[in-house]
Formats: sequence, C-alpha cells, structure tokens
Amino acid sequence: MERMASALGRAVQGKEVQTRQVVTALVAGGHVLLEDVPGVGKTTLAEALARACGLSFARIQFTADLMPADILGAQVFHAQTASFHFRPGPLFRQLVLADELNRAPPRTQSALLEAMAQGQVSLDGNTYPLPTPFIVVATQNPVDLSGTYPLPDSQLDRFMVRLSLGHPAPDVEARLLATRGGAPPLESVQAVTTPDEVGALRALAAELKLDGTVAEYVVRLAQATREHGDIERGASTRAVLALGAAARTQALWESRDFVTPGDVRAVLGPCWAHRVLLRSAVQGVAARDEAAHLLEEISRKVAAPR
Amino acid sequence: MKPGMRLRLVLRDLASGCAFASMAVSGQLPLWTLALYGVALVCALAGFRLFAKRARLTALLLLGVAILLALNVLNGALNIVVAACAFAGLISGHRLLSAPDPATDGQVHLSGLLMVAGGAALSGELVYGVLLVAFGVLASVALALGVVEAAVPEGEPVPVRSVMPPLATGVGFAVAGAVAFFVFFPRLNWNMTGPRASPGFGEPTTGFSNTVRLGGAGTIKGNPRVVLRATLNPDPGVTALNAYWIGRTYDIFDGQEWTTAGGVRREREAMLTLRPGGDSLVHQRVELLPAYGGRTLIALETPSRLGNAFLNSTTGSRRTFLQELSGGEVRVLETGLGYSYEAYSLPPEAGSGDVFRRLPPLEQDALLALPEGMDPRVSQTAARVLNGEREPLAAAQKLATWLQREYAYTLELGGNVDDPLADFLFGRKAGHCEHFATALTLLLRTQGIRARLATGFFGGERVNDGYILRAGDAHAWTHVLVPGRGFVTVDATPPANRPSQGSRLLERLLALYEAVESRWRNSVVDYSFRDQIDVARALVRPSQPDDAPAERSKLPPPRAFGVALVAGLGAYLVWRALERLARRARPLEATRFLDAVEAQLATARLPRAEGEPLEELHARLTRMDHPLASTLTPVTRRYLEARFGGRPLRPGEAEHLLRALRRAVEHWRREADKAARPPSEPRARAS
Repeated sequence: MERMASALGRAVQGKEVQTRQVVTALVAGGHVLLEDVPGVGKTTLAEALARACGLSFARIQFTADLMPADILGAQVFHAQTASFHFRPGPLFRQLVLADELNRAPPRTQSALLEAMAQGQVSLDGNTYPLPTPFIVVATQNPVDLSGTYPLPDSQLDRFMVRLSLGHPAPDVEARLLATRGGAPPLESVQAVTTPDEVGALRALAAELKLDGTVAEYVVRLAQATREHGDIERGASTRAVLALGAAARTQALWESRDFVTPGDVRAVLGPCWAHRVLLRSAVQGVAARDEAAHLLEEISRKVAAPR
Repeated sequence: MKPGMRLRLVLRDLASGCAFASMAVSGQLPLWTLALYGVALVCALAGFRLFAKRARLTALLLLGVAILLALNVLNGALNIVVAACAFAGLISGHRLLSAPDPATDGQVHLSGLLMVAGGAALSGELVYGVLLVAFGVLASVALALGVVEAAVPEGEPVPVRSVMPPLATGVGFAVAGAVAFFVFFPRLNWNMTGPRASPGFGEPTTGFSNTVRLGGAGTIKGNPRVVLRATLNPDPGVTALNAYWIGRTYDIFDGQEWTTAGGVRREREAMLTLRPGGDSLVHQRVELLPAYGGRTLIALETPSRLGNAFLNSTTGSRRTFLQELSGGEVRVLETGLGYSYEAYSLPPEAGSGDVFRRLPPLEQDALLALPEGMDPRVSQTAARVLNGEREPLAAAQKLATWLQREYAYTLELGGNVDDPLADFLFGRKAGHCEHFATALTLLLRTQGIRARLATGFFGGERVNDGYILRAGDAHAWTHVLVPGRGFVTVDATPPANRPSQGSRLLERLLALYEAVESRWRNSVVDYSFRDQIDVARALVRPSQPDDAPAERSKLPPPRAFGVALVAGLGAYLVWRALERLARRARPLEATRFLDAVEAQLATARLPRAEGEPLEELHARLTRMDHPLASTLTPVTRRYLEARFGGRPLRPGEAEHLLRALRRAVEHWRREADKAARPPSEPRARAS
C-alpha cells in the first residue's frame, strides 16, 4: 500500500492524504468520488492508480447524451452466426474513470448503480460479472453546475469516499513547472503491484479484528447523525458498513491487525460527508464542508470507547 | 468431580451444620442425636459419603431412630417438638452422607429449613440468630453454585472465582433485605403471650434450697452466667449497682446448716405484700433467666411488694401465682424455665421497718437461738471483741469490721467438719461469704442481739438500661434487728470479695455478649407489631413525646404508610443507581492503564484539545516531532493492542511502561520549565 501511495504521489504531487484515501478505498473495495474544480489532477490520479496497480483502465466521459448502452455494452447482431452477441462496454474494466459523472442524465447514472454495488451488469435478462477488483473513480465539478444532473442519494451512497483534491501548494506547483516541463506525468508511474495483490490486500483487510466496542462506536456515530438536528437524513446502514470497511483498511496503513476508534475517526469525514443530507439550503462544496464540519462535531461528542 | 463442586458441597454441609446447631443451642436435644449428627457432619465434610451406595437400606436406620424417639416421647422423657427437631436433624445427617445428586441437595436444604424452624421453636437466643444468618448465607451460596455448576458444560471448571463476588453481593443484599423485611413488614404477632424462654447452655447452677449448709469440699467457681435481669425505676444510672438482692432469710442454725421455722404462709396470691411500703419505693421489673434454676423471687433489699408474675417456658409465657414461705421467701407456684415479675422495695438505707412484736412467735424465738453444743469460745470471742458495746447496729458493725480484718476470704471449701463455725473462727480463719455471715449472726446472738442470715445476690452490672446478676454474684449476709428500724443489713464479708469472683477477662467478654444479647432480645425476639408502629411513628413524628395510652393501640396513621412507600421507592431507586454504578465502574485493565497514562500526561501540561484521545495525541506529537512522542509510541501501541486488539497487557508491563512515561514526562517538564523561565527570576521571590 505504501508503494501504491508513493507511486501515486509521483503523479499527483503534494496530495499524500488524498492519495492514501484513494488507496484505502481501493483496498476496502469501495468507489471513489473525486469532487473538485477542473485541472487539479483528478483524472491524473485515477489513471495513475490504474497504472500503479496494473489494473485495466477505461475512461468514460459522461455527457448529457450518454446512454446506458454506451457504458454497459450492447447485444450486437452477428450476421454470420445470425445471433446476438454481447459486446462489453467500457465498464468492463477493473478501474473505470467516470469523468464528470453528473453531466449524464439520471438514466445513465443509474446504469452504474448495479455495477457499483454488485460488481455485475444485467442486460436483457443476462447477468455479466465485472472483472475484479472493480473500482469506479468518478469525478464531478461541484462549482459549474449548469447543465448537470445532481447525483441522486442512492448513487452517492455507493461511493465509499468522496475526496476533493484542492489546488496544490505554491511550491509544489512551482516544482511541477520546473521539473515536468510538459512531459506526461503518468509516464513516471510504474506498476508496483498486481490486481491479485490488491485482491489479497482486500482479503487481509476483511479479516482485521473489529472489537465489539469499536463496532458499537461506529453504530453510535451513525445514530448520532440520524438524531442530529441539522441533518435531514443520517448515515445509512451501507454507510455504516462502508465506514467499517474503510476503518479496517485504515488500520492496515498503521500496520495493525485490529481497528481502533482512531481509524474510524480518520475515515469518518471522507466516508460520510457526502452521505448525510443537510437541512440547510447550502449546496455543492459548501454543503460538503458543512457536513464534514458536523461530522467532526459529532465525532467529538460521541464518546469513543476507552 | 468438578473443582467448584467440592466447595459447593462443603458449603451445603456447613449450612446444614449451622441449621442443626441453631437447634442444638437450645440445649434440649438428646445428647445421642447431637453425637450422631456430629459424626455424620464430620464424615460428610471429610468427603466420606458412607451411605452413597445403599441409600434405601440405610434409610432403615432412620426408622430405628424414629422409633427410639417415639418411645422417648411416649415415655414422657422427650417433648414431641424436641423429638421432631431431633428427627429432622438426623434426616439431614443421613442425607449428608448420601451420594451428592441434585435430589439429595434439595433434601439437605429442605431439612436445613426444617431444622432452622425447629431452632426457632426451641430457642430464640442470639446464637440462634447468628446461626440462622450463617445458614442463610451458606445455603444460598451453595444453591447458587449449584445453578452455576449446572450451567457449565461437562468437563469445564466451575468459574468459582468470578462467580463469588456477585454472589456475595447478592447474598449481602438478601440479608439486608431480610432485615428490612423484618423491621418493616407487618408481623403476625406469634408472641401474643409475651417473651419465651429457652434453657440456654447447660444446666442451671444456682437456686435456693431450703437450707444453707456450711462445710462441704471443693471450690466455689465464679460462675459468670446471668441469672437475673432487672430494670429499675427510678433508675440509679450507675454502672455498678453494688446492691443487696435478697432471696430469703434463715433463722435456725443447727451447727451445720441454716433452716427456717414455719412453712407456707400464704398460698396462691397474684400480689404479695410483705411489709408496708413507704413513699419512695424502688420499682423493679425483674426477669429470672433459665440459668437461675430456682423458683424463689429475688428483689432489691428490702422488698415490700411482689406480684404480676409470669412464667416463661419454651411455648410462651403465662400468668402465674405466688406463695409466701417462711423466711420471707416468695416463690412462684409452678415450675418454668424462667419467670418475670414486678417488685417494689424500700430504699436500702431505710431498714426493713419490721417491728419485733409483730413477727410470728416462732421467728421471734429463732432470732436468738444458738445451736446446741456450740463452742464456748464463740461467745467469749464476741464478748471480747464487743468490749461492752450493747447497741445492736454498732455492735454488729464492730464485729463485722473485726471479721473483715482478721479473717481471709477463700473460695476453697473447708471440707466436712463437725463444727464448721468453730473451724472457721478458730481453725482455718478463712472462708467464704456464708462463713462470714454465719459467724457474725451467731456472734451477735451470743450477746443477746437478734440477727438472722440473709441470702441472695450482691452486685448489679449495668447492661444497656438495666442491671444483670450473675450466678457468681450469689452472696450471704446478716440482718441485725435494730429497734425502730427493723432488720438492717450488715455484711461481714470483706468488701472486695462480695461480688462475683470470676475471671475478669471472661467476665468482660460475657458482658459484651450480654450487651449484644440484650439488644437482640429487645429488638428481635420481643420485636412486635407495636414496635413496628413505634418505628413508623418515630419516622413520621420524630420528636413526639409519649402519647396518651389510648392512642397507642390505634393503627398507624396513613402518613406512616406513605413514608414506608416513599422509603421503599427510595430504596429501589438507590438500588438501581448502585447497580448502574456497579455496572459502569468496572473498567477494563487496558482502560485503567489508559487512565493512568492520561493522569501522567495531565502532569505534563501538554496543550491538548478537550477529549482528544491518546491515539490522536500521539499522532499529533509524532507529527510535531515532540520529545515525548518516542516514549508515547509503545504506550499507545500497547494500549490499543490491549484494548482493541485482544492482546492483553502482560503482568507488570503496565507499570514498566508507566515508569518510563513518568521519567520522560518529568524530564520534559524540567526542560520546558527551563526554557520558559529565564535563568534567574527575581519576581519569583517577591511573591
């Protein structure tokens, strides 16, 4: 995992926290929603991840006229055999970059739901499994909202973590100018691991010990979001499970074989900030910030097991 | 056998033993049943279950025992209640020796309950109460262990260690609850007839015979058993009363023993007036205990009126009548284990007020009678000592002083001699109170001064708000007839030797026991519905003076029920709060370790957000490259492992880590102080 993170770090400089979280989501078997203004390296990060892990990669540019068949694939008539054959769409890759997800109409967005949740695609009554590990890295621009379809909650809930990269620090930016000199950044990223290793890591993470009191702590956190006065809708059960999985992977970072409340707190914001629906009317980035702020407050209030 | 099972069986057997002992303290069980049960208990405790193989066959032994007991009852040698109790004990003994299966356990506990009930019927003594509690505790723990044992799968050890603390708490609560139940639950008044008596330990030792015999061999033991309990009104309030409690008097001495002229004077009276009373009579409510063993009533000298007597037996108490015999002796008509009555006495300094002319003629003659063939030296000695003194009281005091000065007190009896008096006066020159009193009486009589011997008790030891007398307080003294005052007490025995001659330590221990026992009696055995109402009333109206008697018989006011309800509710809430506290206050070892670490860190005065967990603090310090971070790393790691990783702290590891942390914190604090303070700071001294 350290290797993965450092490989990513070579592509996306000065964003250690975010790169680590992306790796966390990958190992925890979750999907990533990168949310930021254009030009801060969202796409680069996703591509670098695919390269570092040796995952098969597809980039789908979501647009207003994108149809489900464009991503899932379609039954194609073969004239020779006089039969329909399934031609897999770009979704049948291990890492799918769904660029500007919110530009696609809801119909297309929802085509992703099953793929993200079950890791399979159902088409015309047939079920086609997706390759493993399967991870969707979606990006969206939270500022330029004209001509977009906001992601439905059901969709949001399926992303394990939501990250925003933010502009790099001035010195990093300066170094970028100086060193890279226009060379494609992804060239420097080499495969440091294999999909099988990622699978093994996933299995390892799933086996980590989650103490009963820590599990109870996660549930109490969820309860607190559900009862909080400023939150319209709190964390779902899927959110609880996702938090548990993310916390397990977080423990792996610390090379521990058990989960502590600190692990839970570390992934709480990225994991849940996009899942809670606020009562206030703020939208976009401001809503995310406020949600993160509320979650921080909740994590301070809910007593951690000692 | 599972490890916990042995403990359970021992507890069960001990509980049964306590139950049997609660009957045995009454002293009424036949000796052979005591022996049989004792053998059975010892065998059971040692693990020899002799009857495990042939339970049915050995049950025939019980049949034999039952027949034996039945015969005893038919003979009249044994009370049927006592026999039933003894039989319950032997059944329990038989079950103790049987194979320990659940049915047997049930039977042992059931027979234990029976025996405790029997013990309640036979005695209500303090020891019984203690044994009852012991039985309750032991049997409860044994039963609970049985339940735990049944829940533990076959082949696994019973977790005795972890079960015992909650069990002990539970039993403690149960005992406290039982006490509260006893105090507050409206009780059916079984004791309608008043206090009951039980014989206590062993045979009664004192008692009044018709004669006082000088001589005899052996040693008089200072018996510390309590024979009498009295409350006085007006209460003198002193610790040692040092009063004469008279039983009876003697006037005829035949050289060997004292007797009385005349027989029964008055038969069957509820109230006896011995002599007219004055204005300031001392009222006594007296209880004669089973250790006393006689029927003669005892009262402070000089008794004026006696009556209102009750006879206390194992089955209750009932009113009885008195008879008056010669020598001023008042007896209870019937024989019981103990008696209670009331008496009025003239104040001690008044004299008896008897006038010689009004005494019965026989008694008049006897007051000057001398035994036949009395040693002439007696008369000569009296004349020599008195040296012409004729005034009765002065003469008696002169002689008494002389006796006290010249003669030694001893508890050794002189043996059987022909003339005990001469032996005392001119031979051994040592004796006990009867010798002194006899000598003084006869010395006075030789000089024509009327005198008689009085026996009873001397002393009175304060216990709670009453006085007790012990068997060893028995005493004899002399009554001198003083014209105009009646009989006046003169004691020839050296003052130091008048009270009980028992060992001081034993006496002190017994006094302690007496005090507890007296409290037990007042607040447990004689605790009645009336007392409960008083408790409730005291709760409702604490500072109320004595109510009119008519009001005492009313039902408790509604407020009392309200208070009881509130008290019950309060107790329940307190219990709930305690329970919650007990559940919360059981931190894991790792958590305790964390608390210790936090305490250490608090002394370091690190800038810290409120509620920041150790884990995050450590991460922060590590990022800051703080000097404490390196010490904190193993601490944090081990805490997290122990708390969430299922790898508990090794013994001593916590101390080791804490020591290292303390050193680091101290070092860091010194450094920080040095850095914060300029090398020399004048302002520090100014303050």
